[in-house]
Amino acid sequence: MVTRPAPGSQLPAGGTARRGPLRRLADLRSTSPGRLRLWLGTLVALGLLTGLVAGVTGASARAGTADLGGRAQPLLVEAEAIYSALADADATATQAFLAGGLEPAKLTDRYDEDLKRATTALTSAARRTPEDSAAGVAVRNLSAGIPEYADLVATARAENRQGLPVGASYLAAASRFNRDTLLPQAQALFAGARGEVDGGFRSAASTGWVVLLAGSLVVLLVALVATQRYLSRSTRRTFNVPLLAATGVTLVLALAAGGLLIAQSVHLHRADRQGATPVAVIAEGRILALRIRGDEALTLAARGSDPEPEKRLTAAAAQLERERGPLHNAWSTLDPALGQVMDRAATGFADYQDLHKQVRAKDDGGDYEGAVKLAVDPATATVFEGVRQSLDDALTDRKQVFTHEIGAAGSGLALFAVAGPVLALIVCFLAFAGLRPRLEEYR
Amino acid sequence: MRTRLLAAVAATVLLAGLAGCEGDASSPPSTALPSAATPAPGPTAAAPDNSCNPRASLRPSGALPPPGRMPPNSFMAKIQQRGRLILGTSQDTLLFSSRNPITGKVEGFDVDMARQIAAAIFGDPDKIQIRVIPRAKRVDLTRDGTVDIVVSTMTANCARWKDVNFSTIYYEAGQKVLVSSKSPAKEIEDLGGRRVCAANGSTSLTNIGKVASNPPPVAVAMASFGDCLVAFQRNEVEAISTDDAILAGMAAQDPYARVIGRKFTKEPYGMAMSADHPEFTRFVNAVLDRSRANGTWTATYQKWLRALGPAPTPPAAQYR
Repeated sequence: MVTRPAPGSQLPAGGTARRGPLRRLADLRSTSPGRLRLWLGTLVALGLLTGLVAGVTGASARAGTADLGGRAQPLLVEAEAIYSALADADATATQAFLAGGLEPAKLTDRYDEDLKRATTALTSAARRTPEDSAAGVAVRNLSAGIPEYADLVATARAENRQGLPVGASYLAAASRFNRDTLLPQAQALFAGARGEVDGGFRSAASTGWVVLLAGSLVVLLVALVATQRYLSRSTRRTFNVPLLAATGVTLVLALAAGGLLIAQSVHLHRADRQGATPVAVIAEGRILALRIRGDEALTLAARGSDPEPEKRLTAAAAQLERERGPLHNAWSTLDPALGQVMDRAATGFADYQDLHKQVRAKDDGGDYEGAVKLAVDPATATVFEGVRQSLDDALTDRKQVFTHEIGAAGSGLALFAVAGPVLALIVCFLAFAGLRPRLEEYR
Repeated sequence: MRTRLLAAVAATVLLAGLAGCEGDASSPPSTALPSAATPAPGPTAAAPDNSCNPRASLRPSGALPPPGRMPPNSFMAKIQQRGRLILGTSQDTLLFSSRNPITGKVEGFDVDMARQIAAAIFGDPDKIQIRVIPRAKRVDLTRDGTVDIVVSTMTANCARWKDVNFSTIYYEAGQKVLVSSKSPAKEIEDLGGRRVCAANGSTSLTNIGKVASNPPPVAVAMASFGDCLVAFQRNEVEAISTDDAILAGMAAQDPYARVIGRKFTKEPYGMAMSADHPEFTRFVNAVLDRSRANGTWTATYQKWLRALGPAPTPPAAQYR
């Protein structure tokens, strides 16, 4: 690239032409105008390269940031919505069954709302996932499975309404289907979406291009300085004004690139640390909490025939309450308000755990009716809803932080993708303007 | 409005047509009956373990103690001290023990029979804790003492007698098969190669594999008979085969199902208890004797099983 004759070298190069490019280059170095032409070619080539890399870096960082904010993060949020809506639907349907008699309208509404949430989120998740990816497969399976689940629950309700005990069997089949088929798919989608967010952070950072841009800027600056040193030694003029201006413009370009990319990186880091990571952890916590509530109801519905739900519940509670887990974490270091919300969730969950222990004590002590009564009691529901509400609030808060930081990370990058190449072209032009009069002197 | 009317008319015509088909299908059984009686009779399909008389239980030792005053050191005294009898049963066997969707309580013939035991111990039939247990674990949970007694349409047979004690027989059932009302099948033998459901760990499941048809029916195991009914209604299995009494409860929940054929096995129901406390078995047998004699058994039958016809004479107690 350096050997390509730059605009300034179109002048006939004496009688040494047509003897091979390397030889020509060597010949150029032996004469003063040749050396000048060489400097000019180098500067213009470096300027063009820098412009190209600046454009690509700006475009890549912008596209990566936009994809992160416009696709990967919404997909994560939708995957979480599907996952928690399905877990909540299962918990709600089982609660309604436990209550006995006609299902409480409140719980029926909540179940309907859950299914609506899941299907709405699924529709937009389908748009955000490539068809052949693991996430795409999960979306397809969920699209096929949710109607089947809804069908089982609807049949259970219809049978229940007619006073037929087979309704309970339909509900058990629905719950099994939800847990064994739907939730693992939702989990796969959630995991896939997390992977896409992580990948999104990497591609938004565009590290390879940034390094290349920094390198070409440094080389361009060095070349500019070296050219000016050569000129001040070989001529009587100390300063070459156009070349000085070119150096200034290059510095401006470097500062702008550095500033924008450092700001982007800072915002991306903040979006990850204060947005995406807390979102994933709190979302995990909400799903765990919902499954715990569902497992409590399942244990009671099974009337002691199935010890598995209680075992799952204990494991999930340990995971939820672990150090540096969803409930007990350094949330207040991120944001004191968030810390307060999460503290509320943690206290609420501890209260709920106490109630759950009472439910178990009653059931194990032979007071099944009392256990059911306590489990579906509005007061118990209120305690649990408090936990859920706090986690919902925390999630909304962190999603906002993420959206804000991603917006800030992307700002200026689109402008830079255009302005970067333009500044580089100006550098090329100034280099030409600075060296051309010196070349003229040799005519 | 008009389309809805048309649809209604069409549905009526369709229903009439279906009814006509059913009428046609129900006439041949009279001709099929003799042929069904000719093949090997039911008992050959029963469990091969004939090493004992599964109906013979332990003889009661004297008169029943008054409620609330159980003999010291007996298992009944332990139950009395605990304050409740722990019953293991199912919650999806309509008529015998099923969860009433309206009240949420488990009720039926089996539960009321168990309440008579609780009444004999405490003088209060409500001092009972109902644990729903999977059919496949009825023997295990009785042996390890998780439940005091299992009353859950459980067939007393020699294989189970090796692990648990049974009371005297309190109900005589026999295995039949439930099919869709449109099915041409008349006996279980007509279902060769078809998927027939039964609960895991039930004698019914083993019996399906022994049906003398070529090929034999494909036995499909589910955790409970309620799950079998779900699978049947979702066309995952073609038939359900188990004791006539359980099938009657299912047919009552599905107007498009019918129970067909003869009883091809004999399934005498007993209450299962741990073999470690023979005095409890003797006590339960005494309660059952009294129930047969004073009409409680008949009253309980009429309360729950009227759909199966008038109450028969209670099964006679047999002792070793």
